[in-house]
Amino acid sequence: MAEINVTSATESSLIPSIVPDLDAVISVVLILVVAYLIVKVADILLRKISEKAGRYRITVTMVIPLLKIIVYVSAVYFILKVFFDPGLTELALFSGLFGAAIGFGLKDIFADIVGGVVIAFERPYQIGDKIEVSGTYGEVTDIGLRATRVVTPDDSVVSIPNYAIFQEPTASQNAGKTEMMVIIDIYIDPRSDAGTAMSILKDALITSKYVYISPKRPYTVLLQDYPFYRRIRGKAYVNDLRSEFEFGSEVTRRAWVELTRQGILPPPPAHVPGEVTEK
Amino acid sequence: MGMDPDFSADLTHPILFEEEWDRITAVVDAYDSNRPSHIAVIADPFAGQNILIDGIRRRHPDRVIHIPFFSVVKSRDFLTQITGHKDIVVMDHCHFLATRKIGGFTMLDAFLDYLSTSERLFITQWNSFTWSYLKATRHIDTFFPVTIELPDIDSKTLKPLILSRYTDEIEFIGDVTPPEEPLFSAPQRMVKLPFSNTSLTIPIPRIRQGNGGGNGLHPADAEDAAFDKIIRIADGNFGVAERLWETTFDGKTVRVADIPSIPCAVNLDINESFLLMIILSMESVSTVDLAEIAGPEINLKQALFRLTNQGLVVEEKGYFQIKPEALSCVKGYVTRIRMVW
Repeated sequence: MAEINVTSATESSLIPSIVPDLDAVISVVLILVVAYLIVKVADILLRKISEKAGRYRITVTMVIPLLKIIVYVSAVYFILKVFFDPGLTELALFSGLFGAAIGFGLKDIFADIVGGVVIAFERPYQIGDKIEVSGTYGEVTDIGLRATRVVTPDDSVVSIPNYAIFQEPTASQNAGKTEMMVIIDIYIDPRSDAGTAMSILKDALITSKYVYISPKRPYTVLLQDYPFYRRIRGKAYVNDLRSEFEFGSEVTRRAWVELTRQGILPPPPAHVPGEVTEK
Repeated sequence: MGMDPDFSADLTHPILFEEEWDRITAVVDAYDSNRPSHIAVIADPFAGQNILIDGIRRRHPDRVIHIPFFSVVKSRDFLTQITGHKDIVVMDHCHFLATRKIGGFTMLDAFLDYLSTSERLFITQWNSFTWSYLKATRHIDTFFPVTIELPDIDSKTLKPLILSRYTDEIEFIGDVTPPEEPLFSAPQRMVKLPFSNTSLTIPIPRIRQGNGGGNGLHPADAEDAAFDKIIRIADGNFGVAERLWETTFDGKTVRVADIPSIPCAVNLDINESFLLMIILSMESVSTVDLAEIAGPEINLKQALFRLTNQGLVVEEKGYFQIKPEALSCVKGYVTRIRMVW
């Protein structure tokens, strides 16, 4: 009888610590809501500030993923505090349980979160960058804890899991800067005057309303001979990466108006080059 | 050896840009026809560059060939003016030698070709934004071993320059404002909580707008305050400061509160911004030249209307230029959107 009584007493003392009371639930919900609101408001504010920051646009947006991590990690800590008020022992116990959970099925999500932390601190790319990952090219619009959102040139939103940075090469076209290099190719008939064509493309590049030139951001015009045509390649920086395609289009259009005026022709129709991928 | 410049005899600006003047005269005095050190004087619009150019012309009237440009240069005829025994060529507004369009650098190249083989000393004056552009795209700085950039002026320099023009006393009237408010304050405000009838009183942080005032200024302080305000709005540009002074001074009095401060709220698309940058870089440009630069992509009439309507440019006899009071705003805007580098 005595043993039974002892057991009953132990069980009844454990019940309140295992089943959360209503206060604890409300606290958790409040913590989550407040964390979410802080992240959302800060996100909106920082994006607005970044739009007015000119060349420092991407530098400002860089803060957003860092802020998300700090706020959400703090939220997790406060939630744990509601239940356990964790000391070293409780934290160790929690880590063990957490490790087991990861092993049982959350490892992908955990890899994404670790990827998000790595992206936030190592910054292989930032919000506003133009990147290419897993065959997807576009502008990074958000770096979440689990995935990075990229808007492609045809306006599709692609979510790339953050762990992709561990497995695949990531190409950032602008590396956190507002300007980025754009390559513009023009193909001409091999019998046309290549020197004049190069001069025209150079003028078209440096007089563009989108161009950005500095000692560290120079422009070049190159000529390459192919069996049935010549390629004039212009490389220059666009002043804002969002105008990447407009820059290429404007330079090409203006260059062709002048090339045609100067009697420089495109290659014969049978030899018009298709998609050229090499750079 | 020429005579020292007597600015006060012909110009109203007796002591402006002394250091820059000394540099130019030192180069002219050390002129060697085997290796002339050509000079580029670089300045923002309205900055007072003509002071130095006019000074050189008056200092060496027998040695100077003066070639001023007033619009985009379309012929090489200006080179034919460089004849005779005179060994200094002074050229005003050289930014008109280049146009931002395909083939728009022919005259500049012709000039640089001429300069490269000439024994004469060229003293040239350039718009600062065109200079930066040509420096980045055409490395123009390599042709001019001496570059002189006109500095911004401060109110201590402006005040005697302006006041020396008047013999009668000028009355300066300071602002009369409400009692002084601290820079930071946190007045209490009642806030009603959502989904509840409860109200809370919470402090709302507030930052004082403007200078906070006081009950008017002593006349001597008002005088300094007036010139401080003019220089601040003009962003250190002498011509703009002059313009602000003329707008405010009614012949007897200057009221600090009347010095016009234009709000800088620019809302333009890429084409309009490009035209604004062109007008800033060329200082004064005709509609015909603007149309050539704009090309068919830009609706020139609509763009110029919007630029004028936002108080950024003004038209005078078919030529567009930046409104002096808006210069600081325009500079900040085109720099921020990276139209100028």
